[in-house]
Amino acid sequence: MTELLVVIVGLGAPGFLPALAVAGLSPVLVFLAPLVGAGLAAVAAELELGVDGSLMTWYVVVAVVANVGVAAGWWLARERWAPRADTAGGLSLVTVLVVLAALAIPLTALRGPFIGWDANSIWLTHALMVSGGHYELVTGLKNPAYAFSNPDYPPLVPAVGALAFALFGRGDLHIVAGTTVLLNACVLGMVGTGIAAAGVSRRQLTQLGALAAGAAVCLVGFALCGQYGVDGYTDLLWAGAAVAAVIWGLVLPPGPRTLVMAWICVAVASLTKNEGLTTGLALLVLIVLRYRPLTLSRARRRGRHPDSTGFPGLAVRPAARRRWSERAAFVVGPALPGLAWAGLIQLTGISDNFFKSRPNQSLLTRAQATIDGMAAHLTVAPVAAAVLIAGSCLLRRERKRLHFGNPAWLWMACSASLLTIFATYVFGGYEIQGWLANSVNRTTIFAQLLLYADLAIWLIIALDAAFAPERTGQPNPAPAAAPVLVATPALLPPGSSRTPTPQPDR
Amino acid sequence: LAEDPGARPGSVRAASRQVAKRAGCAVIVLAAGLALGLSVRHGLQTAAVFLRPASIRAAVVADRQEECIYRAIRSELPESAAVYIDDDPDHVQRLAELSTLWAVPQASPGTARWTISLVPGSSVSAGPAVPRDCFGLALKVRRR
Repeated sequence: MTELLVVIVGLGAPGFLPALAVAGLSPVLVFLAPLVGAGLAAVAAELELGVDGSLMTWYVVVAVVANVGVAAGWWLARERWAPRADTAGGLSLVTVLVVLAALAIPLTALRGPFIGWDANSIWLTHALMVSGGHYELVTGLKNPAYAFSNPDYPPLVPAVGALAFALFGRGDLHIVAGTTVLLNACVLGMVGTGIAAAGVSRRQLTQLGALAAGAAVCLVGFALCGQYGVDGYTDLLWAGAAVAAVIWGLVLPPGPRTLVMAWICVAVASLTKNEGLTTGLALLVLIVLRYRPLTLSRARRRGRHPDSTGFPGLAVRPAARRRWSERAAFVVGPALPGLAWAGLIQLTGISDNFFKSRPNQSLLTRAQATIDGMAAHLTVAPVAAAVLIAGSCLLRRERKRLHFGNPAWLWMACSASLLTIFATYVFGGYEIQGWLANSVNRTTIFAQLLLYADLAIWLIIALDAAFAPERTGQPNPAPAAAPVLVATPALLPPGSSRTPTPQPDR
Repeated sequence: LAEDPGARPGSVRAASRQVAKRAGCAVIVLAAGLALGLSVRHGLQTAAVFLRPASIRAAVVADRQEECIYRAIRSELPESAAVYIDDDPDHVQRLAELSTLWAVPQASPGTARWTISLVPGSSVSAGPAVPRDCFGLALKVRRR
């Protein structure tokens, strides 16, 4: 256990300054810093594969570049972006302690060296390859004898495992699974502190409710996975990171810090598994649509474009062009590490059996089996849908006043992920029954956890509204995540919470 | 509570709306709380099953067996040995992953200099090629 904590601290140290710049002195910092470090390790593994050298060399280079870059950027923008506490010190400490206590319960499983099948055949194998340096990594991933290990899978977990090997040698193989479990806890900590942040700046009862809901969602995350959460499988890691991205990017009030935190979570998800990359891309599109909505300008709505030449499409206003460039950058930038790995895999000629095999069952059979399989693991969906309908009818104004995102964002994220997974099963090559039996409980973790997180958010809103005094007509103060809008106003969506004017339901 | 533009303050309609809204909030809190609570309870029950002493003992044995085979590969084969794994699919994967960074698994026997497999530990007599029993399994190494 001590070794695992050293690895997490080893990840958190180079990730601390970037995480502090993003999160400020808020409870989420504790969980964000190791994830940033893990992301840096994954980028180092990409450079190891794409260029040459060893993981440790690249990790040092990447960590130094990231920290120097953040320090320089911070110094240049020191007046606009100072580290600050978003919540009162006491409440921050209590939040961290409560979330850590909730996570400690499932982490007691680390006293048994549980290690799952994939944890060995994929993640331990890849961690050994990454720890061997460029040549071992390339030849190992290209070796057809290792085709069973899904050689195209992204490098975050193997890179962290290889770092653990670099620190403690290769005597304890379970350390790879152990570090994955701790990273699982970190992403759930991001989710839990995000939900707790939804109650900050409200009355005490709401704060307590939000804290309890955040802690409960941390426990639910491990509960949904059963043994897969503690035996080195990485499904909870990408799913938890993606849910954290939804909470910070699509639910909490918009702001530059919450946006960057969502981007980091997407990057972690996309560097963990291929499902994380596809889901992450969908999330980035939704996030950009929230922050840079597709709206017609007033002139266009009136049918009189100021720069119109009479030929639609010929004249594009510079502002519109800039806006589209921003949208593209908002999607491509955070996805770049995951896309870079996918590109490297293609360039290196690495592939796995999945893309070579062809289905031998009819699409209808596969679709029916997939629907049945997925539905069996989405039993929370009817409850979440009922709460959504009730909440939308009764608490729409309260949700808006708290500056939370429209629940449609969260449900679109859920639907996009489920549709992608459905299509993968229907058009994939493996025999469908066995494939579903082996994986559908894990591929639906994102949707399940997201729906539980939605329930937690509605619980907080309802708790706040139920005990609210009658309104006096004064606008509510902006909640916790809103006052952190101290920098980069350009990142804010138009009409965001800085302005008291009525705004569309984003 | 939320403003109701259509209702005058103090009117019966406004009051009944407030009551309905509070009841709705209570239902949402109950439904969400119950769903979260049941899931947490399910998780704790599941964890209790796989954290039973027998499960932990089994995990410890599996972990030690794996590390034993990992070390046997490194002690019985020369470094960078081209090996063919002649075994059932489960053992093929297991031996390939534990060979990583020491031996080089081959997809076909033609290019291999060594063949390895896992056999029941008790059925193999101790000798230079079979150094140890790894909790019921032993590594069998043959030069081709």
